[in-house]
Amino acid sequence: MNDRPPRPNRPVYLDNQATTRCDPRVLETMLPFFTERYGNPHSVEHVMGHDAEAAVEAARAQVAALVGADVKEIVFTSGATESNNIAIKGAARFAARMGNERRRVVTVATEHKCVLESVADLADEGFAPVFLPVRSDGLLDPAALRDALTEPTLLVSVMAVNNEIGVVQDIPALAAIAKEAGALFHTDIAQATGKIPLDLTGWRVDLASISGHKLYGPKGVGALFVRRRPRVRLAPLFSGGGQERGLRSGTLPAPLIVGLGEACRLAQADMAEETARIAALRARLLGQLQRDIPGIVVNGSMSARIAGNLNLTFPAAAAADLMARAPELCVSTGSACSSAAIEPSYVLRALGLSDAAAARTLRIGIGRFTSPADIDYAAAALAAAHAGRATPVA
Amino acid sequence: MPKMTFIERDGTRREVDAPLGLSVLEIAHQHDVDIEGACEGSLACSTCHVIVDPAWFRKLATPTEDEEDMLDLAFGLTETSRLGCQIVMTEALDGLVVKLPAGTRNLLND
Repeated sequence: MNDRPPRPNRPVYLDNQATTRCDPRVLETMLPFFTERYGNPHSVEHVMGHDAEAAVEAARAQVAALVGADVKEIVFTSGATESNNIAIKGAARFAARMGNERRRVVTVATEHKCVLESVADLADEGFAPVFLPVRSDGLLDPAALRDALTEPTLLVSVMAVNNEIGVVQDIPALAAIAKEAGALFHTDIAQATGKIPLDLTGWRVDLASISGHKLYGPKGVGALFVRRRPRVRLAPLFSGGGQERGLRSGTLPAPLIVGLGEACRLAQADMAEETARIAALRARLLGQLQRDIPGIVVNGSMSARIAGNLNLTFPAAAAADLMARAPELCVSTGSACSSAAIEPSYVLRALGLSDAAAARTLRIGIGRFTSPADIDYAAAALAAAHAGRATPVA
Repeated sequence: MPKMTFIERDGTRREVDAPLGLSVLEIAHQHDVDIEGACEGSLACSTCHVIVDPAWFRKLATPTEDEEDMLDLAFGLTETSRLGCQIVMTEALDGLVVKLPAGTRNLLND
């Protein structure tokens, strides 16, 4: 291994849990809907509207196919944050309006901020939020959920894949526990969609949130799965024209939706092959880092984990210093979603890491466009940075 | 002939003849009960939304997906909401009680 890594001609991007590059094939399918095929999909009176509507419905089928849903169960939104808000607040408010006496809403300490905040905000409306701890490997103990559900519970929300540590919760088992207790089950699948096989229908999930830009699609679009049999009903957040079965008023962004559909189609077609390739890259990176930096620790379960994620605590250097010494390497100290706040990751805290250890921790996200050369550069740059040396900037 | 009862918006109970084979919407129209039925029973609107008495609700045939889709859009939905056009009178439903909701949503007339 070279002491000085080869200089990249562009930044090496290893932050694929923050966002992914829009796949060029996805972009290609989107462009006509900005230029020539710009009709409003809700314009039912002319051919331009019909064309856009047909494209939106084709995309809806592509999303449904990837997650194991019926096409009518997919509602388009602006992204997973909106989907999570509609699912959690909408389910709680609708149930209360129907005279449902249940007020308990159960989620997990390591959820994305938008789930934690949506659940917490429901306290103002008389609901009873419960935040369950995780084990030191980042996974929710099914017995802890079962205990929490001994009190009548309205809704349970558990993410499929964590955005910082990449661990995969056992959604089929957790959903079954929630259903047995008569609760609705929601899962944030933003980090899971296109990364692991999903079968929302078979898993008896009621609600699930999807994001476009985490799976090589465009930013600003996502979807919400809303089960139809048995029917799950929600109070919408937006007042408006009643689009998307009244659940999400607003003109659908046809170009973005077409892109999301194509991203789902590509993910479904290539998932097994891509997962194997990314897993091999991760093994290569971890092997080099463990060789060059004795004492480096992986946080979170390695067995129940998506292929592209590493969350590493370094033995002797602050994450901020590592990143400063390797400016061509794009990694992160936590989730981009809460990195506006300068505080240790609450996810790592929930795993039991000290604030000092959390401050020595980096999240690394390998993706579709990561090359073996990127991996070798990252390993060498991090090893050099950890030894106190800066990587020369191109 | 079977009977059924409509509870009108002001709380008035009206018991009427309910011929077998007619829908609740058709029975309402026969007796000038104020249910709209804008799409005339073609499952394209939710303006014949009625709230079924809980004791009767479980005796009804399960709603179809198409009916559920329209109920998704109904104003003031309740746990025992149905579309009047989809409840067809049978001997077993003799004595059925339904309530008219506070309002309907007719997207065509807004």
